Order: sequence, then C-alpha cells, then structure tokens
Amino acid sequence: MAQTASTAFGQSNRPRRSRRKPLKISDIISYTILTVAAIFVMMPLAWMFSTSLRPTTESFQLPPAWLPTEFRWENYVAPFESSVPFVDLFINSMRITVAVTVGQLITCSLAGYAFARLRFPGRDLLFLLLLASLMVPGQVTIIPIFLLMRDLGLIDNPLAIILPGLISAFGVFLMRQFFKQMPQELFDAARVDGAGHVRSFLQIALPLAGPAMATLAIITFNATWNAYFLPLVFLNSWHKMTLPQGIALLTGYMGSGNPSVVMAAVTMAIIPVLIVFIALQRWIIEALTRSGLKG
Amino acid sequence: MQKAGLLPEITPKQREAFVGYLFILPTYVGFIIFILYPLIESMRISFQEFSLLRGSTYIGFDNYAQMFADPRLRISYVNTVTFTLFAVFFNAGVGLILAVMLNRRLPVLMRNLYRSIFFFPVLIAHTYIAVIWRFLYAQDTGVINYYLGVFGVDAIPWLSNAHWAMAAIIILDVWKNTGFAMLVFLAGLQSIPNEYYEAAQLDGANERQLFFRVTIPLLSPTIFFILVIFMIGALQVFDTIIVLTAGGPGDATRSVVLYIYEIAFRTFNMGYAAAVSMTLFAIILVLTALQFWISRRWVHYE
Repeated sequence: MAQTASTAFGQSNRPRRSRRKPLKISDIISYTILTVAAIFVMMPLAWMFSTSLRPTTESFQLPPAWLPTEFRWENYVAPFESSVPFVDLFINSMRITVAVTVGQLITCSLAGYAFARLRFPGRDLLFLLLLASLMVPGQVTIIPIFLLMRDLGLIDNPLAIILPGLISAFGVFLMRQFFKQMPQELFDAARVDGAGHVRSFLQIALPLAGPAMATLAIITFNATWNAYFLPLVFLNSWHKMTLPQGIALLTGYMGSGNPSVVMAAVTMAIIPVLIVFIALQRWIIEALTRSGLKG
Repeated sequence: MQKAGLLPEITPKQREAFVGYLFILPTYVGFIIFILYPLIESMRISFQEFSLLRGSTYIGFDNYAQMFADPRLRISYVNTVTFTLFAVFFNAGVGLILAVMLNRRLPVLMRNLYRSIFFFPVLIAHTYIAVIWRFLYAQDTGVINYYLGVFGVDAIPWLSNAHWAMAAIIILDVWKNTGFAMLVFLAGLQSIPNEYYEAAQLDGANERQLFFRVTIPLLSPTIFFILVIFMIGALQVFDTIIVLTAGGPGDATRSVVLYIYEIAFRTFNMGYAAAVSMTLFAIILVLTALQFWISRRWVHYE
C-alpha cells in the first residue's frame, strides 16, 4: 500500500532513457489523477461555453449539458444590444493595454540597458532602490495617486491608468538580466566601428533582445488586460470602463436572470486570451517560467 | 571628433554617464511620481484626519490607534490570514503534485497538453472566473451542488454561509492559480540533473527516498520562491472576493485590501485607509523577511 502511494510521487527524468518499460500501476494512478484534474480544470470553461449557446430558458438546466446541444448565437449579439456598451469596453481595454505595453517596452529596455551595460555614478544604488519598490503593494500607493489624478483632472480618464503603467521595476529587472548576458565582444566590435552608446543600443542590443521583449510584452499585456483594481478606482462612467469592469457589472445588473448572455460575454472576453495562448503557447510558458524562476 | 575650445571637454566617461542617466530618466521620473512620492505621501496622510472637502488636519497616531478598536478590521485580518494559509498551502501542494506527475514518464504530447490545460486559467482575469463560478456555486441551480447531490450530499450554501463562502473563494483561487505553481515546479524538476538520481539509486535508494532525500532538497529554492510569491499575492486578495461575495455574507470574506478599498473609495476616509494600508505593507515586509530567515534552515542552494 504505502509502496504504491509513494511511487505515485516517484521521480523521473530518468525514464527518458529506458523508453519501453511496461506500464506500472503507479503510472496508471498518475495518468488517472492527471486526467481527473484536467477535467476538473476544464469543466467550468466547458460549462461557460455550453451555457452561452443555450436558450435563456434553459440556462439553469440540470444535469448540465457539457457540450452545446443548441446553438443560440443570438446570445452573443445580446451583450452588444444591452445598455452595456460592449464595443466601447473592448476598445477601452485594448487602448489602455496597448499603450501600457508599448510604453513599458520602451522605458524598460532603455533603463535595463543602462543598468546592464553603461557605467555611471550611483548606478547600482539606483537599481537597488528601483528593485526594492517591487515590494510596495499597489494599495499603499493608490490613495496619493488617486489624489494626484484628481488634482490633474484625470479621474474617469484612461490616462489615470496608463501613466502609472508606463514604468515597471520588474520589466527593468527582466531587461537588465537579458542585456547583461550578451557577450561583450559584440559591443567592443561596434565601438571599434565608431558606434556611440545610443547606436550600440539601437542597432546591436535591441535587435537581439527579441525574446526578452516578447516575455515582457506577454506578461504586461496579460496583466493589464485583466486588471481590475485600478480601473475600478479611476473609471466610473460606462463609456470609459474596461472589459473586466463591464462584465462584473453586467452580471450584477442582469443578475442571475440571464446567465446565457453573461456567459456569452465572458466567452468573448476570454477568447482573445485563448487564441493568443494557443498561438504563442511555447513562448508564454517559457516566458512565465523564466520570469518566475528569476523573479 | 571633439572640438576643443568653446565647449568644456567631454570625456568618453562623462558621455557614457550622460547616456546612462538619459536612458533611466523615463523610468525614474515614473518611479518618483508613481511609487516614491505616493509612498511618502501615504505615510503623511496616515497621520491626518482626511477630508476631500474640508482639507486635512494632523492628528498624530489617532488613525493607528483607531485600528485596534475596529472589529471589522480585525475580522478582515482573520479572513486574510485564513485565506492566505489555505491558498498558499493548496496552491503550492496541488501544483507540486501535478508537476511531479507531469515529470514522470509521459508521452510528450500528453505532458504538453496537460501542462497547457492546468496553466490556462492563470491567464484569465479573476473577474471573469469569479463571474463564472458565481453561477457554479449557486445553491439550488448550481452545477457543483447538483453533482454533490448525485453523491448524496445536501445542497451546500456556498456563498451564503460564512465558512462555505471562504471555502468557495479558496477553491476558486486554487483552481485558477495552482497552474502557475505547477509550471514553476515543473521547470525546477526538469533542471535537476539525472546524476543525482542515478547516484542515489546506486546507493539503493527507493522511490520514496529519492523523492524526500533528492527531489525535495534540490527543489527547495523553487518551493521557497513559490511560497513567498503566493503568500505576498494572497495577503492582497481583492478581485475574486469583490466579484464573488463582495466581502459577505456579513463580513465573512472581507479581506484587508477589500476593506482598504471600501474605506478609501466608498467612505473617502483616506487617512484611516492610508494607516491600514501602511500597516498591511509593514506586515507583508515582516512576513517576507521572516520567510527568508526561516528559509536558511531548510532551503538548500547548490
């Protein structure tokens, strides 16, 4: 008994070498557990999708049908016809997300390069100070930022979210680690050719920084697209809100009255994430693993 | 290249320093305006009786003193700590088990497929997930109670009972976030060199010994990282709760951050909110430092 239980935790980079071993009981146990876990993870999403296609009257049908039985695509039109300005929400979210992502790519690659490859007095201290700010939670700074935005007249303006999002201590750290790994010879060669620091950055470092930039872009894009706290604090009129805000409100306000329509809206909000995930899966997993291990 | 005479001589060193400062300028401007200044300002506000209309007055430590007489804050802390303990334990535990199983002998296709499935919820906004699960948790019409009913379990009042509501939030959190722990653990497991296992096997170690004597010690830096990351995140739980239960029933699931949000932006008692947030910040710092201190006893760096 104890033996089988413990082998379920067994280790295994090894078996790669001995390929054709017969299936053991422990293998079957772990296949089963993995499969059950995978089903459990997928069920809420399957329910979301199948409900989104069901007629309103059958939203609460039990036992739940996991695969769509009918295809009421009009549920997907309903959010656009409701008083929630769905298209605006989508555009707002996209605008904020793109602005923040592009902004961070610029500021973080510049600062990351300076901290990694340029020498100037106070460099390491300035970098440490920046890094320490990673520990400051958002809710500590939100009150003064709110008051600042109010004084600037930026409440209910996407700039209130974009401006603080343009920099990222994490992003600077990520880029710095990457630029630090580049071989010095590259830069020496450029120096011999008479390239200045700005040209070395633009023509040598940046073109090679693709993987790091992609990592940062993916992480920032996803975090901003999903953000809820900042939009909730700053944006309060329907036409300025972001998608997560709108969907949270859509639920509240349609109540449990029409889950089919709510689920159609949620499905539409998740589909871009799903598409990006499937397309860039390798990248995303590598990006998050790398950032995780080094963060 | 350099013109002598009118302009003072610029050495290459000065030029390099100039470019360096120029490159960090955008980041540092943002850092000062949106992190450093707010941090200091937050501390100042925490000593004030704050009013948007009448202006503010300095009241010393009154806001901090008020915290000890605020039963709702105490409940919020109890809830946050409860949530953190369970969420960290289950996110890390389930993530580790899944990673260990995925690291076994599996067809590559199957490993990649399962890894993607477990990871996908990490990418979806808490808000959307809470919206979906609110329907799943419904007492009479929810899918979860239906299946529990099949096994003869009475309908659980997931969102209307204090204890179950907390359980509901923890389950949702593990469903969403354990994939991240799994991913990081899997990467950690795959970076353990085979030689260690081969050597241990030559010494006659069985599977259990391999796991506890080889895998766990070599994985300990990764485990430590996951515990710290998940603890810091859990102490700031907000999105899920505000959508799923809004802190209810009663105060049963109100987290500290949700409470700060309510004090600051619903009642606009900014001074008190700043004091509470500074305290939470201090607690997070202390707990993180404590984790680092304890880690010296159990984390093995190669």
